[in-house]
Amino acid sequence: MTLPKGFGSAGGEGATSADVERMIGRRVENMTGIITLAYIAAWLATFAGTAAGYFYYPWAYPTNSGHFAFIVLTIIESIGYIFCIKVSEEGTRKNSNVLMTIVLGSVAVGTLLIAMYVGW
Amino acid sequence: MAQMPALIPKEVEIQRLKKIYLMVIALGSIAASVEVDNFVDGSLHQTSIRDSAFTPAHWWLYSHFVALPLGWGAIAIYDRKVPILRGPNNSMNTGLKMTILGYLATMFTIGINEMWHFWFVEEIFAVPNHWMFNMGVVVAFIGALAYVVRVYARLVELGAETPGENPYIAEMYKMALEGKLYSRAIP
Repeated sequence: MTLPKGFGSAGGEGATSADVERMIGRRVENMTGIITLAYIAAWLATFAGTAAGYFYYPWAYPTNSGHFAFIVLTIIESIGYIFCIKVSEEGTRKNSNVLMTIVLGSVAVGTLLIAMYVGW
Repeated sequence: MAQMPALIPKEVEIQRLKKIYLMVIALGSIAASVEVDNFVDGSLHQTSIRDSAFTPAHWWLYSHFVALPLGWGAIAIYDRKVPILRGPNNSMNTGLKMTILGYLATMFTIGINEMWHFWFVEEIFAVPNHWMFNMGVVVAFIGALAYVVRVYARLVELGAETPGENPYIAEMYKMALEGKLYSRAIP
């Protein structure tokens, strides 16, 4: 097996497990934190985007439309978040179902409160 | 099942393919958002016709067409670390190429679209300035599907994913991996 420059020992022997770990870098199953933060950031950005719409252009983009878009996009982002965590942890002993439940539940409540009280 | 020779350690390849998968899921969510905005943009144009390039439904739509080619470009950069995903003559994977070209076409169509609307406010779906949006997105979706199936098939081949439990579907995966799914040699 040909290894990239800097990996393996001189003399063309195979990769050691240390080499393999170096080539992998951060494993996907250890990316739960960054994926969760990215999801929350995307959700907040979605709120900011729709809010910019109904605060600055209420005649073209009424609050109802903004909240409708916000809710639908939150659902799309949530499905993406679940897929990402499930793909990254499949085949390992890791399980972040509790974290996902808390995050998704909080986002659901936040979405509901925003849709009821912001921009009217 | 014929397995392609590994050029990098199996564990490394599985991790890299999964990282590509995560990026594809993120871009898939953005693509789903385009579909939603298709309706929002359409309803805006039915009520307020067209005021300017900078109405909210347009920010939403156009920002995707900048994010999508850049995101798929990032996948293309990372994709070079997985030898099995190379395309013809060691070039970029064909599906990935189609995806980037499709989304780039939509990105440049934003400019064409705004130039057209400087003179004409007509916003129906079928006016010529909109053709390239639709064709570009379709080309990109087809390419993305081909690429995702290739990534998934390789994960199956490496034993990191389990193909469908339905024996008929499992047989289809097996034939696809052998390049025989659409072969006339199979009765």
